[in-house]
This record gives sequence, C-alpha cells and structure tokens, in this order.
Amino acid sequence: MQQILVIAKQTFKEAVRNKIMFVFIILGLITICCSVFMPVVGDGIEKIKIVESMCFRSITFFGTLAAILLSASSIPTDIANRVLCTVTTKPVQRTNIIFGKIIGFTYIIGVLLVIMGGAGYALIKFTALKQSVQGNNKLLAREKFDPYTSQVTGESAKKIGDVSWIEGGGKGTSVWKFKGLHSKNRKDDLDIEADFLIESKKRFTGKIPVNIKVVNPYTVKVLTESIEVSRNKPGLLKLGGEFLEGSEELTIVVSPENPGDFIGISSDSLKVFFGNKSFEYNFLKGLTIISSQFLLMVIIAVLGSTFLSLPVNILFCLFIFFCGSITDFMRDLSTVINVFETHEHVYGISTVLKETNAFMVFLDYVIRKPILLLSYILPDLKNFSVGKYFIDGINIPYKTVFMSFGYAALYTFFCLPISFVVFKRREMA
Amino acid sequence: MDNDIAIKTENLTKAYRSFWGRKKILALDKLNIDIKRGEIFGLLGPNGSGKTTTLKLLLGLVFPTEGRALVLGKTTNDVAVKNRIGFLPEESCFYRFLNADEILDFYGQLFRISGKERKTRIDRLVEQVGLGFARKRPLRQYSKGMLRRIGIAQALINDPDLIILDEPTSGLDPIGTRETKDIIVSLKEQGKTVLLCSHLLSDVQDICDRVAILDKGKLQISGTIDELLSSKDVVEMLIRNLSDEAITEVETFVREKHGEVISVKNSSDTLEGLFLKIYAANIGNSKTDI
Ligand SMILES: Nc1ncnc2c1ncn2[C@@H]1O[C@H](COP(=O)(O)OP(=O)(O)O)[C@@H](O)[C@H]1O
Ligand SMILES: [Mg+2]
Repeated sequence: MQQILVIAKQTFKEAVRNKIMFVFIILGLITICCSVFMPVVGDGIEKIKIVESMCFRSITFFGTLAAILLSASSIPTDIANRVLCTVTTKPVQRTNIIFGKIIGFTYIIGVLLVIMGGAGYALIKFTALKQSVQGNNKLLAREKFDPYTSQVTGESAKKIGDVSWIEGGGKGTSVWKFKGLHSKNRKDDLDIEADFLIESKKRFTGKIPVNIKVVNPYTVKVLTESIEVSRNKPGLLKLGGEFLEGSEELTIVVSPENPGDFIGISSDSLKVFFGNKSFEYNFLKGLTIISSQFLLMVIIAVLGSTFLSLPVNILFCLFIFFCGSITDFMRDLSTVINVFETHEHVYGISTVLKETNAFMVFLDYVIRKPILLLSYILPDLKNFSVGKYFIDGINIPYKTVFMSFGYAALYTFFCLPISFVVFKRREMA
Repeated sequence: MDNDIAIKTENLTKAYRSFWGRKKILALDKLNIDIKRGEIFGLLGPNGSGKTTTLKLLLGLVFPTEGRALVLGKTTNDVAVKNRIGFLPEESCFYRFLNADEILDFYGQLFRISGKERKTRIDRLVEQVGLGFARKRPLRQYSKGMLRRIGIAQALINDPDLIILDEPTSGLDPIGTRETKDIIVSLKEQGKTVLLCSHLLSDVQDICDRVAILDKGKLQISGTIDELLSSKDVVEMLIRNLSDEAITEVETFVREKHGEVISVKNSSDTLEGLFLKIYAANIGNSKTDI
C-alpha cells in the first residue's frame, strides 16, 4: 500500500510540475465564465439555466480532455523515459504500479473538480443573485416523478412502435397514475409537464389544444384545464402543492380536445414535478456523475497505456471519447444504412421497402454491423450527461448517481484485469 | 541450491521480435555463466553484443525466449528478491522535475525503507557520488555524468547484496571513472557481488575478478583476467636509468640466451594515469566543478 501511494504521489507531482493540467483548468474556467456573457432570450431563470448547463458542459469537456491527456500520456512517457524500467527493477508488483498510477490520476481529477466545480458554483450563485426574479427560489432542483401506471383507452387507440396514438373528440383518453408525491413543504410548486408527439388531420398549425383532468383520489378534488401542446415545446400546467392535500397520489387524464387531432404518447410523456431539493446537493451529485465519467476514461487510458505507444494511445482515447459521445448518432446511422427494412411512421401508415443487392450486403457487414456493435461495446457517455437536469432544474435522483458510478465500475471491472495481464507480460525493453 | 552462486544462467536465450512477430533479432544465444558471491564480474563485448539484454533478462525486464536465469537463487519474476538487488540502467533517466534528494527518496520508499534510515542513506550516498553541491537542482539540469552518478547512488539506496551495473563509467570523466571504480571495489570489500557490463576494456581490467566476453549474443570466452591475458612465454622488465649502450648489451645477452626481443621502448604512463596525476596536483588549489 505504501508503494502504491508513493507512485500515486509521484504521478500527481509530475502532472502538477508538467503544468498541462493547468492549461485545461484555465480553458475550462474561461468557458465557464464566458457563459455569463451568452445572450439569453427569456427571463432571469433562463439565464441561470444557461450558466448552469454551460458550467457542467465545460467541466465535463475540459475535465475529460485533461483526464484523457494526462492519464493516457503518463505510463507511455514513463516507459519511453525508462523511468518505469528502473521502477520495475525495484520490489514493486506491476499491478501496484497500475494501482498507483490510477490513484494518482484520481488525485488529479479531484483537484480539477474542486477548482472547476468551485468556480462554477461561485458563478452560478453570483448569477442567481444578480438576476432579479420574483419568487424566492431561483436555483431549482425540482423532484421529478414518473407515473407508476399509464394506460390508453378508446376506439382510436393504436400502438406503433413504442408510441401509442389517440384521437381527440372523445375517441380516446390516456390515464396516468402517480404516487409517492411527498415534499416537506406543502407550499411547493406542483407542475405537470406534457410532452407529446402531435399530428392533425386538419390544416396543421403546429400546436393543438389538449384537455387535462387532474384528480386527487382522496379529496376527490378535480381540476380540468385545456393546455396548448406544440411540436417542440411541452405543455405545462401549474398547480399549487395544496392540491395534494391529504394525499400523496394523483390521477391525470389526458386527451386531445378536438376530433382529427392526435397525440402520440410514450411512457415518459407526462411528468410531475413536486418539491424543491437543495441545489447544493444537486450540484455535488452532478459533479459526482461527471467524476465517474473521468474515472471511466482514466481506466480506458490506462488499458491503452499498457500496450500502445503515447500518440496512438491518445488517439485511441480521444476516439473512444468521441464515439462515446455520439452513440445515439451511431445507432441512428446504422438504421439509415439499413435499407432492408425502412419504416416510415406517419400516423397509421407503415411502409416497408425491401431491396437487396451485393453492395448493400457489403455495406451491411462492413459498415453497419461494426458501427452498431461499436455503439454497444464502447461506453455510452450519454449516461454521464448531467446538463439536462440543470437545464430543466430537476433534482438528480440518487439512483442516477449510483447507476453512472456503477456503469464506470462495470467498465473498470472488465478493463482493469486486462490491463494487469497485459502489463505483466509487457517487456520494458 | 549452491549457496556460493549469486547468478546462474542456463541456456539463456533472447530473440527480439518485430511488432508483427516476424523479424527476429537473436540478441542472446544460449548463455551459460555462473557468477560467484562476492566477486566482481565483468561482461564485455562490443556494442550490440547482448550485454544489456543479459542484464534485462536477469532483472525480469524482458522475458527469455528459452532457458532461464536464477538470481540469488530465485527466478527473475520473483519480486521479493529485488529487495536485495541494485540496478544502474544503461541510460539513467529519471523524473525530470525531481531533484537528487527527491528521486533517491522516491526509490527508497519503494523499498519500504523507514524515513529516518532513508535520510541518513541519502546523505551518505549523495556525498559518496560527489553530488553534494547539486542536491536541490532538478535532474533535468544535470549533465550526463551527473545523471550517471545519481544513477549509481540510486542503485545503492537499498544496501543491496547484488549490484548490477550497465556501463557504469559511460559519460563519466576520468575522475568520476576512478571514483566509480573505487566504489565498486569497496562494495566487493563489503562482501557484495557486482555484475557490470562495459565496452571499455580498460575500465574492467583493473577491477574485475572474472570476465566474460560476448559477441553477437554468443559467449566467446570467460575466466579470470590473469587467465585470459597472461602468456607464459613473454617476460616484461621495467628498468630505470639504463644507457643506450647498456640496452644494446642487454639485447645481445638475450640473443645469446636464445631469447627474442619483441620491443624496446620508453615506459609511458596511460593517459588515465597522467590525468589523475594532474588532478591530484590541482586538488589543493580549487574544487573542480563537474
Ligand atoms: N527492444 C529491442 N528490440 C529489438 N531489438 C533489440 C532491442 N533491444 C536490443 N535489441 C538488439 O539486441 C542486440 C543486443 O543489444 P544490447 O543487449 O542492447 O547490446 P549491448 O548492450 O551489448 O550494446 C542488438 O542487436 C540490438 O539491436
Ligand atoms: Mg548496452
């Protein structure tokens, strides 16, 4: 253990004296600060959200870049300099060298997070103070609730893929049930957000009226309201927390107002927000998730270090970082290339085009399948993106924090033993 | 296990492969040597003859293609045995940002030497290799010779029983060479085993008990220096104050006795000896910077 810590300390020292680390910290700080000058449409809340998400994006981007460059270069540089050659002639297990390096990198990541996170937090607080917004809470960390059941009924109900469609005018309704809606403060906001796909048989204006009926099953209090839902902006219904009086449950019934209008519903189309959690905790949770992404990249960089040369390893890690950030795109790409079955979803219509020739088969095996495979093997960095929580002002569930950590741990579990074996067999020639 | 043997190699062979595993370079071919405890053993040979490869095989830095090596009775992938070995690599490269004290402390900690003990050893070693004046300078400002010296100090930090030195005198000035040789001899006096390799024959000649000569990865010859160099039928005489006529008389006498005069010349010092004399004369006046 002493040896591991000695190597960790040395790794950290080397990084500090190299000063590369500070270049990234400074670049990160500059982008964080730039967010203050971003032009914003909308009210002060919007401004705060921009600063928050910019802050997390730049910490994620520059932090990951720094983590990659430092950890991908450390071991190959030491091997090229013959330092590791000398270290391995000392009574140190090679696995301990790797452990020491990894712990050294986590020190570095820690410093990165403290400096950039601290600056980001200060800036967010400062922005929040400067924005004169009515209402007391400007830094939101709303608790988000998903329905425990949702069902679609009526003659028009039709399921295409993952989406269920219903028509308005009494021809279909969807019912959503929520439970466990609790908050310390009954006065908290209770918001309902409806994010539907929409289609219309009529001349289409881009938004349609939707009826929402909210029921408190205990007090049997009912509220019916019509809201506008458009293509890219979810409908919003604000209720006071008092509506939930005596109950922690809510039933919501949704249907389009007019016949000829359709809404497409998936299981997460309707969300309820109730209660505001501590922004500070939420910020820390965000940083924790980001740090698990850093850790993941460190593990991959160490794996690469055990058999790749310095430039190749850096390219390898940047490639994984890049692909990991666009896994969705890669999957989409592979569906585009997949010309054997092309589905076109228009309401009620699904066309299947079939076409086969040698070139397509070639394309399928050489490009589509590898891309698809890669998109599943490579770490999906989407799992670590926290910007969306801060843009929407949502409290990050603890489950998400654990999941992202677990995701990084999973890769560690597979990559680390490989690193050990490869490094053990590596010749320090 | 023979307790007198510090290092034993059995058919030790190393073939380096190119990246694709194709082209092979036979760097070492079936080496069999025994190195006894307490002796200074010199591994000689021209550049590229496989000396460094041999040392790396002994230290487990590269793995043998064939055969095996026992170091202090253990195979090379035994980590614990490295507690008793000190190694000076061919190119001493260290963390460039550390200074002499820090790098020695770093290696000392890898040996789990206690803090107090580390401090005394570092103080002693830094003085011993003559770097007292540059202890706090970062290593990237060191000259090649200074790096060699810190390399030697590093190899001795764990007070090893077996010291393996790869070209210990390369890059050193004659004084450094002399001092290094003195350190090596004093190690032997403390009962330690030294294995060194060099392509500088004169270095090795003065101090090695036994040598082995490698060429193109093959062991050419091995034995004590005397065994290898003495030729029983040649006699050397060093004579002072002899006139030219007297020399002619001696030559005639030798011929009468059926001897053959191979050469007659004035005695000359080695360059190394001359340099050392000059240094010794100056030493009182000024402290030479290295
Ligand atoms: N890492 C390596 N990869 C391939 N060939 C090598 C490597 N190291 C040494 N060699 C080759 O092995 C031979 C012996 O090298 P080396 O042991 O370093 O010689 P020496 O130390 O006697 O000068 C040389 O021909 C050299 O080119
Ligand atoms: Mg060599």
